[in-house]
Amino acid sequence: MSSQTAAHETEPTADTATIRLDGLTKQYGDVMANDAVSFAVEPGEIFGYLGPNGAGKTTTIRLLLGLLKPTAGTATVLGADIRHRRALTRAKANVGYLPDTLGFEERLTGREVLEYFARLRGDERRDELLELFRPPLDKPVETYSHGNRRMLGIVQAFMHDPDLVIMDEPTSGLDPLKQDRLHLFLEDERDAGTTIFFSSHVLSEVQRICDRVGIIRDGELVALETIEELLERGGKDVRVQLAGPVDPDQFVTAEMIDVELVDRTARFTYTGEAIELLEHLVQYDVTDIDIGDPQLDEVFKHYYGTDSQETG
Amino acid sequence: MTAILRTESERLLRGTLLLTGLLVVLSVFFLVVFPSIQDEAALFEEVYPEYILALLGVEELHTIEGFLGGYIFPFVWVLLAGIYFAYVSAGMISRDVRTRRMDLTLSSAVSRESVVLQKIAALWVPLVALSLALLGTLLLGVSLLGESVNLIALAMVHVLGVPYLLVCAGIGIVFSVVLDRVETAQAAALGLVFVLWLVDGLAQLNPDFEWVGTVTPSRYYDPTAILVHEEYALLDAGLLLVGFLALLSLATAYFVRRDL
Repeated sequence: MSSQTAAHETEPTADTATIRLDGLTKQYGDVMANDAVSFAVEPGEIFGYLGPNGAGKTTTIRLLLGLLKPTAGTATVLGADIRHRRALTRAKANVGYLPDTLGFEERLTGREVLEYFARLRGDERRDELLELFRPPLDKPVETYSHGNRRMLGIVQAFMHDPDLVIMDEPTSGLDPLKQDRLHLFLEDERDAGTTIFFSSHVLSEVQRICDRVGIIRDGELVALETIEELLERGGKDVRVQLAGPVDPDQFVTAEMIDVELVDRTARFTYTGEAIELLEHLVQYDVTDIDIGDPQLDEVFKHYYGTDSQETG
Repeated sequence: MTAILRTESERLLRGTLLLTGLLVVLSVFFLVVFPSIQDEAALFEEVYPEYILALLGVEELHTIEGFLGGYIFPFVWVLLAGIYFAYVSAGMISRDVRTRRMDLTLSSAVSRESVVLQKIAALWVPLVALSLALLGTLLLGVSLLGESVNLIALAMVHVLGVPYLLVCAGIGIVFSVVLDRVETAQAAALGLVFVLWLVDGLAQLNPDFEWVGTVTPSRYYDPTAILVHEEYALLDAGLLLVGFLALLSLATAYFVRRDL
């Protein structure tokens, strides 16, 4: 990693990608859990892998770790082809993993669990991490709350100081304070050169900390953007207060989506140019207006259609 | 890289202590009744034709060697310990896969082959504990009964029993990698070892079907021959070891190819 140069950072090439998926496909019967997914995660970025539950995020992660075999296509993790077991096993010395379901030996205490992973991989950063994330080390894991389990998971994922950390829904079960702590920690790790692959169905956190995002739906990658591009593409969140009722047929234009017209208030996402919106609105008696960045949730809705509330 | 071996060994400790205690108590019960059946056993041997006794695997029942080889070892070692080894091995992989512990283990730089081998290697715990405890119990019990037994033969009956128990473990580990549900894998392994034990016993009763027993592992471990005749069937033990290695290879080959 030390040989990395500025040129690599501005123009990533195939060789420098920390993770590269190339037509990665996993099929279960008729179901395409991953359908020819291709993208690359560059060194030192936080990559958000976004999708509703059941979209195929965990399948991708398990393929990357060699827990599943691809039906077609392949991927490389730290330069190792996931189809080459030995190479991948070696590469995993520099990988940390925080799964969505944390399988610990329930009878052991947190300390004993960490001892196990320390023998398996090393633990040069254990003490430092335990100052940030504090699971009750002397209690058996079976008595842990969801949040404590997650914190133990975070410690084991980072304690051998890996170059790449793959996290599957890392904040689930953490209270907001600990989520913030994790987000700050991940940003520091990123700045220190660690690459973070971060799957989530929670858009706000992806929006907060990820540098780039890949969106997966029904096993297919539907978008690969920087957060800024994604927000731009998503349009503006607009709320207009009118002096009197308006005719919806006249008021609503093709660029407005998700329109809610209640009494004298209109809320919509505007996907066109800002100047056009202003020109349109001056025709009406507007008493108040609020234009802001949409939540990623709103953007997300456009990719997933109306049923995103149920699946997300 | 022995982290898995170490953790798995510690995990087996509790079950091992329980089983060892149980089998020691059972052996003590057997030894306690020995004096009272000793006379009847002699009568039994006079009444029945020799070939029937031989087929039952019962020889010299009125001697302590015959009693150990014909009663205690077939039951305590071949059946109960065999079932335990199959049962515990059947849970080794399947449980970790089921609880997703395997995901975390395999996210480290450890190969799947190594996982299987380290898990099986952890069986040294019950092997050593059971052998030593049973050996101690029998030695003590025999001397308390005022009998004596050939120490080398008694040691050999334990040593040559190890390959047999490993085959049982091999059966368990194959089920453990093939079947997804822990309970199913354990029931299948336990059931198969029991059925094999039964088949061997039944096959010996009927000369026409005796060949059926050649596929059962217990056919290659004869405590009576070891204790009464001091016949150490090293070749049979070797065959059992080969069988164990074959089962272990099969399990490993399957495990490295499967999706988790």
